[in-house]
Amino acid sequence: MVTREIQVGQQLEPFVIDSVDPEPMKTMAAILQDPNPIHFDTNVTRELGLGDHPVNQGPTNLTWLTEFVQRFAGGPDRLVTLKVRFLGNVLGGDRFECTGTVTAVDHDAGVAELEVGATSDGRPALGGTAVIKLAD
Amino acid sequence: MTATHEFHVGQRVAPFVIESVEPDRIKTVAAILQDPTPTHLDPAVTRARGMGENLQTQGALNMTWFVEAAMRFAGGADRLVSFNVRFLDNVFAGERFECTGTVTAIDAGAARAELELMATANGRPVLGGTAVIKT
Amino acid sequence: MSDYGHLAGHRFPGGTYTLPPWLSWLWADACKLEPDWRTAHQGLAYLVALRGAGVSIQDIFDLMDATADSGVVFGEFQVDYHGVLRPGTTYDCEAEVVEVERKSGRRAGVFDKLTFQVKVREEGSDDMTIVCTNSWIFPRAEGE
Repeated sequence: MVTREIQVGQQLEPFVIDSVDPEPMKTMAAILQDPNPIHFDTNVTRELGLGDHPVNQGPTNLTWLTEFVQRFAGGPDRLVTLKVRFLGNVLGGDRFECTGTVTAVDHDAGVAELEVGATSDGRPALGGTAVIKLAD
Repeated sequence: MTATHEFHVGQRVAPFVIESVEPDRIKTVAAILQDPTPTHLDPAVTRARGMGENLQTQGALNMTWFVEAAMRFAGGADRLVSFNVRFLDNVFAGERFECTGTVTAIDAGAARAELELMATANGRPVLGGTAVIKT
Repeated sequence: MSDYGHLAGHRFPGGTYTLPPWLSWLWADACKLEPDWRTAHQGLAYLVALRGAGVSIQDIFDLMDATADSGVVFGEFQVDYHGVLRPGTTYDCEAEVVEVERKSGRRAGVFDKLTFQVKVREEGSDDMTIVCTNSWIFPRAEGE
């Protein structure tokens, strides 16, 4: 993705997961050694009023947002900062979408600032900002 | 608490079947075991090693199914006394895993029965062994 | 004023963490992002920082007198990237509590916000790879 002609107000190409798969949440729970059963036990999620939908782990959502920003920036080496707040749950079966806008461009410093966020089935899931390096 | 079971020599152990081994389960087990073996993760590696297109299961996973077959027949986890298993061949994602067996001996005095068990993957022998259960 | 404000400056054990290639691969795969053995996704910053800090999630809970049932959630997460994470690399990590603030919000009620920071660099390098600044929200009952 070429960023040389980047403009304030420019929209980032959305990153979409059509339907969040609950199976990898089990693998992620094992990787993180996270005992919280909301990520994998639908008996528990049902008791909590979430139906048969486990809750996606924050680090996975963060990884998707990171991927979204670095695709726009043109590679992992173009990431400078990512700052994110966790606004709401992402559930198994949800449609997860990252969107963003360029909010500032500094050609002298060679960086751009972005406002970024993610929704899950339209509900706010992540919100924050990013700084990326511009292409030379 | 399960009641005392009536077993007889030659009795068949009800088959325990996994219709199609799921690759996602293999990956989760790899994470649980912190097992770096790439044939449990990446089909490109199984392909490169001439093992085919599908992920290899962990021995621990195959063994867990073997134990499950014995426990179900015995009537509960508390009724399994011991087991012994040999790993004969690999099991792969997508295969039909089946564990069957027979009661080979009864010791009425000790209230024990011995089983011979065998598991196949797509009909190919993959595990063989024995188990001792309470009668 | 948080009862836990004194934790500012508290250093975690830190230490080294080697990012195993199998784990890096599995992370990308679990995120459905075309895993490969030669690259580690930058989203792994969270895990490298957590493991490198030398504390478990439970250790952090213990510091704040919280349990798995306390309803602790992530607040903010910031990563400053100075380099790219690489599978098989050993990282030197330092970690400390930045501050603990007592706050209240209309929706959230009364809570403590714990911010901690982990600095990660490749073993033996003077250059930083990533700096992760994380905050966690610890709900408190009124008057607690």
